Amino acid sequence: MAANNADITTWTDDATMDPKWSDDIPIYRQLRDRVVAMILEGVLGDGDALPSVRNVAAEYRLNPLTVLKGYQELVDEGLVEKKRGRGMFVNEGARQQLLKDERQRFIEKEWPKIRETIDRLGLDAEELLNDDDEGAREIAND
Amino acid sequence: MTELVTASRVTKRFGSVTAVDNVSFSIEKGKILGLFGPNGAGKTTLLKAVLGLTDCEGELSVLGYDPFRQRKELMRNICFIADVAVLPRWIRVSQLLDFVESVHPNFSRSRADELLSRTKILKTAKVRELSKGMVTQLHLSIITAIDAKLLILDEPTLGLDIIFRKDFYANLLADYFDEERTILITTHQVEEIENILTDIMFINDGRILLDTPMDSLSEHYLELMTSGDDAATARGMRPLFERELFGKSVMTFEDADRGRLEGLGELRVPSVADLFVAKVKGATT
Repeated sequence: MAANNADITTWTDDATMDPKWSDDIPIYRQLRDRVVAMILEGVLGDGDALPSVRNVAAEYRLNPLTVLKGYQELVDEGLVEKKRGRGMFVNEGARQQLLKDERQRFIEKEWPKIRETIDRLGLDAEELLNDDDEGAREIAND
Repeated sequence: MTELVTASRVTKRFGSVTAVDNVSFSIEKGKILGLFGPNGAGKTTLLKAVLGLTDCEGELSVLGYDPFRQRKELMRNICFIADVAVLPRWIRVSQLLDFVESVHPNFSRSRADELLSRTKILKTAKVRELSKGMVTQLHLSIITAIDAKLLILDEPTLGLDIIFRKDFYANLLADYFDEERTILITTHQVEEIENILTDIMFINDGRILLDTPMDSLSEHYLELMTSGDDAATARGMRPLFERELFGKSVMTFEDADRGRLEGLGELRVPSVADLFVAKVKGATT
């Protein structure tokens, strides 16, 4: 998810610029990930409207069903709400929910690996957290 | 009626040449079907049959009509952009709009005016004075303003630069297409339109090689990049087609054992263009 943050600028790019779709993930899933990244970054706030299916389809030259499928994922996850005749809107608290999920994922999936690396390299977690680069360099030079 | 077009054992012969050979397929409402085939595969003949421009053997129904015998009725609800510019070169844009308005019951003049106002095309200009891209824009504007159920595009962007091509498809999706409308399109620029399609059909030597919804491609087709002993093992699994890329072998498989292939190299879903080459070349070797 976080890795997609850099891609979100393509949402607002000139119409002639093509987004880079990855070959191994379905496009509807990549669209879903982009909207999630936009919500996490605060580009889309609570209650904001998503770009219309027709606009996204035209701009990226995607079948409207593909766009709809991506949006439907967000509806199923409770992040977005469909308002009849008006389009899709970000739900209240969507960002909080995503942050919670992201934190959970970090703690369960990533942190154990990082912790293992810290232990293996004999680093001191407290010194590492001593914010700036200088601190880190001192540790490395020890 | 959800099936707009049904073809059953359609065949077209020109003397001893069989251009379309015993072809059966159907197109449902709301679909965007891409028809791909090498030059001389029978695409245009098939489109002509659907449009009622040529007689054929077998059964063909378009919007419930026999296209060849009920062409007049069919033409009210069908639109067509051909690869050859068919607009007369001497006509002025305003005259063309007057003409279409007078002959086509489902044409909205105000809609055409609105669409044309977004382009640089002047109403006073003659078709002769427009660039190739502008002629296509004009054609698309007129067609978008016609309330038709089926739109047939035969190489609509041939000879246009990339900006015009992209705009063409963007406008098609933004202004024309909705779930009540259906599009049948042929083009050689496969990669430009594959993402807008719901279905694809490959045709070669007058026969259908593939006819499938886009989202089931990933269930049936895989592309494996591999080398060395793994390549030899994979070759034993009878790929459709194999090509070389940077010293590695790229093989396309149809309904193969995914689990077995996974251990042999990098797997992905082939692009439509690569699958097309694999199908056409794989069928002839």
